[in-house]
Amino acid sequence: MTDFAALIQRLSDAAIEFILIGGVAATVHGSVRLTRDVDVVYARDSNNVRKICDALEKIRPYLRGASKGLPFRLDPPTMTAGLNFTLTTDEGDLDLLGEMTGGGTYEQLLPRAVRIEMYGRTCYCLSIDQLIAAKRAAGRPRDIDAIAELEIIRERSTRT
Amino acid sequence: MRVYTERDTMSSTSGRSSLDDVVDAYKAGIDVTLIDVNLRRSVDERLANLQRFLEFAEELRRAGRELATGK
Repeated sequence: MTDFAALIQRLSDAAIEFILIGGVAATVHGSVRLTRDVDVVYARDSNNVRKICDALEKIRPYLRGASKGLPFRLDPPTMTAGLNFTLTTDEGDLDLLGEMTGGGTYEQLLPRAVRIEMYGRTCYCLSIDQLIAAKRAAGRPRDIDAIAELEIIRERSTRT
Repeated sequence: MRVYTERDTMSSTSGRSSLDDVVDAYKAGIDVTLIDVNLRRSVDERLANLQRFLEFAEELRRAGRELATGK
């Protein structure tokens, strides 16, 4: 089971450049929907990739849903060769995205992302407008309910 | 990769798509009282609730598996 605090603190304490997206970002904004993993968009520069690999090494990242025993290592060559990684770790499920559908890269998302205090750390998180835009762009039927909830949250947040 | 801005994906009054109508239909089924309660919480409180919710869901799944396997 995912330990949201442990994963987010681990990324933050390692000074990794990342932006929270997905269900945890929606929770930050007030969503009451359940999510089971932590999704982030990460900066793809070599320094950040190395920090990610170092920070996650101790919690044994592995490809989620893949057969056991594959020679997978989350190291800089692997991350550089790939882009998006859906991982399982000792602290739960973690999705590392180099690009997000409808949102782009870390550098493209950062200017409109919001800084939030969580678990005693400061992190970047998609704004609610970015979340809605990304989910609308992705166009997945299962996101419609989430879009509806986020739009209600946006409406009610601006009222108060 | 194309980056969509909020403007790209937010409907104007004259340019509504059928997706907007579908989203509006879903809004009718959402319990806004839960949202209002959550909006009064801090970010850390919302995340703590999410963690408890996940633990509860996992416990239900475990119980369901045991029921199915008769253990």
